[in-house]
Amino acid sequence: MKIAKTLSILGIAVAGIALAGCRAGGENQGLEYAPQMYHSVAYEPLTQIVDSETKGNLISTREDGKGEYFNSNINNPHHMNMREPVANTVPRNKQGYLPYRYKAFEVEEAGAAMKNPIKLNDEVLAEGKRLFGLYCTPCHGTSGEGDGKVGEIIGGVANLKGGAYVGLSEGHIYHVITKGKGRMGAHGSQITPENRWKIVHYVKQELQGGQNADNAVAVADADQDVTQVETPAN
Amino acid sequence: MLSKRSLVGVRLNFHTLAVLFFILIGTQAFAVAQEVANSDEAVAAGKAVFNANCKTCHKLDQKMIGPALRGATDRQPADIVKSFIKNSQAVIASGNSYYSSLFKEYNNTVMVSHEFLTDEDLNNLLAYIENGDKVDPAAAAAASGAEGGEASAGGGIPNEYLTVILGVLVVVLLLILVVLGLIISVLTKYLTKQDLDEDDKEFVNQKTNLGKVFKSDMFVVIVTALVIALVAKTALDGLYSVGVQQGYAPTQPIAYSHALHAGTLEIECQYCHTGVEIGRSANIPSANICMNCHTHVQNVQGKEGVSPEIQKIYNAVDNNQPIEWVRVHNLPDLAYFNHSQHVVVGDIECQTCHGPIQEMEVVGQHSALTMGWCIDCHRQTEITTEGNAYYDKLVQIHSDSKDALKVKDIGGLECAKCHY
Repeated sequence: MKIAKTLSILGIAVAGIALAGCRAGGENQGLEYAPQMYHSVAYEPLTQIVDSETKGNLISTREDGKGEYFNSNINNPHHMNMREPVANTVPRNKQGYLPYRYKAFEVEEAGAAMKNPIKLNDEVLAEGKRLFGLYCTPCHGTSGEGDGKVGEIIGGVANLKGGAYVGLSEGHIYHVITKGKGRMGAHGSQITPENRWKIVHYVKQELQGGQNADNAVAVADADQDVTQVETPAN
Repeated sequence: MLSKRSLVGVRLNFHTLAVLFFILIGTQAFAVAQEVANSDEAVAAGKAVFNANCKTCHKLDQKMIGPALRGATDRQPADIVKSFIKNSQAVIASGNSYYSSLFKEYNNTVMVSHEFLTDEDLNNLLAYIENGDKVDPAAAAAASGAEGGEASAGGGIPNEYLTVILGVLVVVLLLILVVLGLIISVLTKYLTKQDLDEDDKEFVNQKTNLGKVFKSDMFVVIVTALVIALVAKTALDGLYSVGVQQGYAPTQPIAYSHALHAGTLEIECQYCHTGVEIGRSANIPSANICMNCHTHVQNVQGKEGVSPEIQKIYNAVDNNQPIEWVRVHNLPDLAYFNHSQHVVVGDIECQTCHGPIQEMEVVGQHSALTMGWCIDCHRQTEITTEGNAYYDKLVQIHSDSKDALKVKDIGGLECAKCHY
């Protein structure tokens, strides 16, 4: 009786300590409850199990002999799941934007040719301000004077209210956001074309006082198709 | 004899040449002094021009993106300096050898044209460059020394103090213990010398019998109950933590600090996590986004050389090799979650679910991400319906209810919302 009692207490203690080990923390991911329902069979973005042998090999029913949760695409470089677009094809979205074709150094041409396709209104300006806050203020500062916290470290950030910049065309600003210029990197991969044009509206209207703005033109050609405004193939 | 004389009628020997040379130098210096004003108004006006147009790339006495500006008019004539400020590329193209070599020295960094500056602006600017904000080198050194001293005095103190205080406390407590022991022994000795009756003697000489206490039923019951309660609690907690990865904070391939980037430098989350407003995943930035800044920023806190962690980005870019970050938040495949839905429509701050990311050196999973956790939030969160026509009819239907329109009222608790 006494032995049974001691054993049962010991058993509970061992079980408790063992279960405490299931808790996640630090490097330990913790115990998974139903791993076969947790891991995707299909390829998933930002999830990739490259371990083809050990992960879940005890319960593996795969015919290719790989680990149960292996889901890397062996046909892609680095076994990545995302793929590059098919060569010589052009992605188009519902706004009809075509890929940007001006090269980084073609600032003058881009600045002269492109007009802002987004109609100017208060909503666009408010959105432009918000986007400016997300993507531009680290360097250019809230007021656009080149005094952001990151800008102070990088140095050489344009004062958007400075005389050298207030007169620039909207196409020029759009091109510089997309492709970068001088010490500024290309932000085309981070900001969608519509959002870039909204930022351009905000910079032009609010920070630069509307000097050399397109909005007069944009209102007159309100029905203009954006595909024509976007860059020509070259 | 005349034929041996020069055209000006003075023999051009070494002395005359030297005199001529000094006269020329003198007139040039005079010309500079005349063109570069030194009045307070001119310097003040020049400072305004400098701050608006120059200060992000130039300092007066230090190299920055471009060269230190003071002495520009000594190095080149003032009118060439002015035309260089207006349109640097034109001056370089015209074949000015000084500016061409300067351009090369600074890695062909093009200076923006400043055609809009008037001649008056330029004169004031030059006045400021040559005469403004002159710093006494000794004073500057003293000031920077003082700053350094303050900075070094600022950190580390609280921790050291705490340790010292704790140490002192422990020593004091030990001393008190020793003193108390001494008092007891002295008192016992004193009492045994006195004439005491039996009861008092027993009291003075009593010994605590620990064995008896340990064997008493009461003690065994209390201890057993405590142990069982503790073990049961650990076991239950352990069971509940199965499948929950709260607290998981893996080491990443690059020791990227959110505390530095999002906290100190105040870079918004969306700058790097670009998918958060347009898609299901927030996205991990690819190396080109890192390179927007790290092309220029090669080490932390202004240190020389390339930081080994930042070097990993350069290696990834040079070799076209992806950086294999370790995923922290692993929502099970059985549940669907979409970032854009919550961030754009729900207008939820990143920190609501991810915790104080801007204070984390290593990112860990802050919330439990269990179904109960999702449902709790869906039960409590009110919907912002204003300015969103999608909700108009829902608001109308809901208008009979006393409670506000919450996520649970528009299907936030439906199984098939997330599990399908």
